[in-house]
Amino acid sequence: MIQLIAKRLAAAAVIVLALTAVMFFLQKISPVDPVHAMLGPSASPAAIVAEQKRLGLDRPFLAQYGSYLNGLLHGNLGMSYRTRRPVSTDLGSFLPATAELSVYALIFALILAVILALGSTLRWPGSSVFRLLLIAGASAPAFLLGIVGILIFYSKLGWLPATGRTSVLNPPTGPTGFLTIDGLLHGEPSVTFDAFRHLLMPALAVAAIPAVSIGRVLRSSLIGQMRADYVRTARAKGLTERQVVLGHVLRNSVNAALSMTGLQVGLMFSGVVVIEEIFGWPGIGQYMAQSIPAADFPAISGVTLLLGAGYVAVNTIVDILQAIADPRINA
Amino acid sequence: MAVAEPYIAPATPPARRGRPAILRAHGRLDVAAASLLVLVTLIALLAPVLAPHNPIQPVGLPMQSPGSGGFLLGTDSIGRDILSRVLFGWRSSWFAALAVIASGLLIGGLIGLVAGTLGGVADTVLMRITDGFLALPAPVVAIAVVAALGGGFVHTLIAVAVVWWPFYARIVRGEIRLLAARPHVEAARLAGAGRLRIAVRHLLPGAVPAAVITASLDVGNLVLTLAALSFLGLGQPQPAPELGADTAHNLTYLLQQWWIPVMPGIAVMVLALAANIAGDGVRNLLGDR
Repeated sequence: MIQLIAKRLAAAAVIVLALTAVMFFLQKISPVDPVHAMLGPSASPAAIVAEQKRLGLDRPFLAQYGSYLNGLLHGNLGMSYRTRRPVSTDLGSFLPATAELSVYALIFALILAVILALGSTLRWPGSSVFRLLLIAGASAPAFLLGIVGILIFYSKLGWLPATGRTSVLNPPTGPTGFLTIDGLLHGEPSVTFDAFRHLLMPALAVAAIPAVSIGRVLRSSLIGQMRADYVRTARAKGLTERQVVLGHVLRNSVNAALSMTGLQVGLMFSGVVVIEEIFGWPGIGQYMAQSIPAADFPAISGVTLLLGAGYVAVNTIVDILQAIADPRINA
Repeated sequence: MAVAEPYIAPATPPARRGRPAILRAHGRLDVAAASLLVLVTLIALLAPVLAPHNPIQPVGLPMQSPGSGGFLLGTDSIGRDILSRVLFGWRSSWFAALAVIASGLLIGGLIGLVAGTLGGVADTVLMRITDGFLALPAPVVAIAVVAALGGGFVHTLIAVAVVWWPFYARIVRGEIRLLAARPHVEAARLAGAGRLRIAVRHLLPGAVPAAVITASLDVGNLVLTLAALSFLGLGQPQPAPELGADTAHNLTYLLQQWWIPVMPGIAVMVLALAANIAGDGVRNLLGDR
């Protein structure tokens, strides 16, 4: 098991390194000249040469990549053309909001996936409704779910807020950066409740499509497992259908669904970018969405590196979890 | 990144039923589903004929609600016909998705074919590169690629195509490896067929059904991904009709004139739904043989 974890971690490191090379290469082919972007069009030739020297642009290609990597290791992602602040500072202030949204979206996606899979697999009158939900849900773009949610639950019913993370003026800061947790840690459950109300719509809008994909995979492996011999044995020894499904079949079906979860996180991140823009969620997705029209490549590449690393991390964890769920996997 | 469930050919083919798939009762349903692809393409092709108005020019009072003034889906903030914009947006979304799928099939198929046929070092190197791409969050990397290339519709298509082939390379390579162990390939080799001939005549045709099935299940995902990129401003520039961008640009009207941002979003959903249902149909028809 330790060997497996070491192998997976090494592979993850290689992939993140490859991603940095891709980002460096993209920066090089980008038509936006970093010197002009920082100094503006009316800079003097002397200032341009000086800035090129300061950024190291006069040095050989590989040396530039080396110092770029060195910078990354020290948390230097360059300066944002738009906010004129270091990208790492910007990301640091926006990351907690995105982390909280993504974690809740993932939890919602998993819960919904299990409900959808069980609801459409087991024999009961509502199962065809669930199957319909599976097909329709896979086709709804996240932004449509977001705006229809705002129309219904904010505009029409007035149940949920439509923008931002919190309506508390001075929410407690730290230690986790998750308002739902920090509120509890600071003994202010009202903050937690308020943050949760803000989270509900954006997190569900992000979760819907991943939930359906995971649910479909879970459903097909559930159906496959239900025909297995051990299910017949379990039924024959008098277990109820519920005990058979929850106690035996679910664990054996979880592996394919875990792979799908890992894959879906990548798609979920693009949903996060769109949804944060709609809900005015102060996270790195909104930061990226606003950097796109400004052609702010350092900011975009910073967000991409961060989300890419997050994706690789999630998939590494998935690999390890799969080995735990099914001890036959060990390579 | 293609996240459709990959189609894996069953290890033991199900026993052949008496009549061909098309004539069985549930086969007919599948044919109907698969023919949705034709319908969607027809709507896309005929958009200029079907659209009642010019999608770019104001043609009526602004902000008319759906149905009023003869505008089925209403008009937008400057009086353009939303139905016409949705039809043209449908056209560009659909053709863009088809173009990316085709390039994914072509690039991924070629790489999968080369890796699967040659084996050895070439296989290892190509598949490591493929796995590297698969290990990255494709939509996010696509955004970075467009940002580096500098916006525009063609750049967006290139960016998505760059991240969309690895899945197909995996599928095709897997099929080729399975086929390469089959007796008919050995027979061809003994008959003196060259590597190229074996690859093109004896291996490639066998990999086509799995690739086509995966592609048809994948179009819906691609429609959604391209709509999300368009929403973020990575599509054709205004005033071109684009489903995602039309929603994004009109968010300010959401609470008063809901139909202006919602209608293009519903069009994306209908397009993706049709593609998903058709994909299921294609899988059932081709996968059943």
